[in-house]
Amino acid sequence: MSLADYDAVGVTLKASTYGVVWFLVLLNLVPLLFILSVSFMPPTEFFGAPHIVPYEPTLEAWTSGFAELKDNLVNSFLIGTGTALLALAITIPGAYAFARKEFYGKKLGFYAIILAMMFPYILLVIPIMGLWNDLGLYNTIPGMILAYQVFVAPFAIWILRDFFENLPKDIEEAAQVYGCTQFSAFVRVILPLAAPGIVAVGFLAFLTGWNDFLFANLLTTGTGPVPAVPVLYGTIGGGSGERVYWGKLMAETLIIGTPPTVLYLVARNYLENAFTV
Amino acid sequence: MASQTSHALLRRTERYRDVLSENWFAYLLVLPVLLFLVLLMWVPFLQGIYMSLHNWPFGGDPSWVGLGNYEYLFGWQPFVTSLRATLIFALTTLFQLGVALAAALAVREIRRGKSLVTGSFLLSYTLPPLVTGTIWAYMLEPDLGPIFGYLTQWELLEETIYWGSHGDSALAVILFVTTWTFWPFMFLIISASLESIPEEMYETARMYGANRVQTFLRVTLPQLKSAILIALSIRIIWNMTKISQVLQLTNGGPGYETSILAVLLYRFSYEQGQMGISYAVGVVLLTMTIGFVFVFIREFERASGGDAA
Repeated sequence: MSLADYDAVGVTLKASTYGVVWFLVLLNLVPLLFILSVSFMPPTEFFGAPHIVPYEPTLEAWTSGFAELKDNLVNSFLIGTGTALLALAITIPGAYAFARKEFYGKKLGFYAIILAMMFPYILLVIPIMGLWNDLGLYNTIPGMILAYQVFVAPFAIWILRDFFENLPKDIEEAAQVYGCTQFSAFVRVILPLAAPGIVAVGFLAFLTGWNDFLFANLLTTGTGPVPAVPVLYGTIGGGSGERVYWGKLMAETLIIGTPPTVLYLVARNYLENAFTV
Repeated sequence: MASQTSHALLRRTERYRDVLSENWFAYLLVLPVLLFLVLLMWVPFLQGIYMSLHNWPFGGDPSWVGLGNYEYLFGWQPFVTSLRATLIFALTTLFQLGVALAAALAVREIRRGKSLVTGSFLLSYTLPPLVTGTIWAYMLEPDLGPIFGYLTQWELLEETIYWGSHGDSALAVILFVTTWTFWPFMFLIISASLESIPEEMYETARMYGANRVQTFLRVTLPQLKSAILIALSIRIIWNMTKISQVLQLTNGGPGYETSILAVLLYRFSYEQGQMGISYAVGVVLLTMTIGFVFVFIREFERASGGDAA
């Protein structure tokens, strides 16, 4: 192997590496750049030649977008927060047991939960619609929060179990030697140590509740607590209209999209290892 | 004989009691999440199968039709169109894998700005899918959108393409947007697994004179295998249930050309309130995915070496 050959391969590899990275980064950023620019354009500017810097920038799209979405954003926030809190309440104990306790049926139980992740949950929405209708949960915020547990809980168990597993061995026993009970060892020693993971999973649960369209659209009606995402569907209705005010729509996509993105980018520092399989 | 069986029975109950008293705390901890999944998954699922055997208008009175809904579906031309669309749509998973693998391998090589790069990769995944669907609906709008605007302005295209009015071009757009949106999930899993390959393995490979291709095929790829299989199985199933972007971009049209099964299910329930047929579509969707679930279990077992759970 001569040095020249080696370098040629190396240089090609390096170039294609950066090529791939730049291509993908631009593929993600360029559309965002466009919608950012469009959201500052007055309605008249959409016609005619495309351009990226608005001629007469205006905040009209943003203010009318905010006005339209205000109530829905509150709903989204309540639903997302409720989803996260309930998910943590039911999955923290479970994940802890699966990570650090030995008990009969542990393996079976864990797979039953993980497999739920593989279930195409679009199949659940129809019967849940009926059930919620009978139980008075249809078109309510608690109804939405409960329904989201179907896809949040398995994921939360998967990630949290990993966190609990990686805590130092026998730490509870050490705590028990110092007079803790099983329960107080869990609350006073394990929970604080796992806090970053718990926060990250809470964020993920929040963004599931915030981002979802399917349940949000099928479990609410116009009179109820409609979250923000389905409103966006209503305004374009499958590409039916010439009269869509794209500026406002794009401002709304940014308004709705920013909170989950920020949360995810914060949470991911804690999540990096959780995806190791 | 009788005393022997009763004795065995006694011993067994005693053992159960032992197991329970020893582990009651663990069972208590696991109980809530299991209860939730039974109530939210298994109860609705079984009820759904029951629904699929009925003519079940939303909020109305159901009437028993046996397998009538399934019979109707399989004799209904748009259902075949929908199956075809679903199979083509399933290709998105492979595209996602291709992009994710290339991205993960490339990102491992770069030295600086790694976290910035992965951060920007993840943007498309963290935005609500309906939002990105709306963004692309604008970007690809034939008359006003910037993409066709620039293409015609620079005369790369003679005139704009009304992709929404042809089944194949509409499917192509949906494939592109779905791939664009969801590849980062596979990227996350594959990169995590890539990072966990011990450096010693590469050193050993170098010592034995392996070249880059050999190293990739003999060290990297085998180590990634279970990560790839798991990511694939999850994504195949999750992709099948994604409806928001299809609805936003094409509304399942023209006709039923882009109504993948999940969209068909949605159209039956939401537009027509026919819960029975809608669920029959769902059952077909489920049977299509069950095969992949088996792959998932087997690989998960192997990947975790049996000691994880």
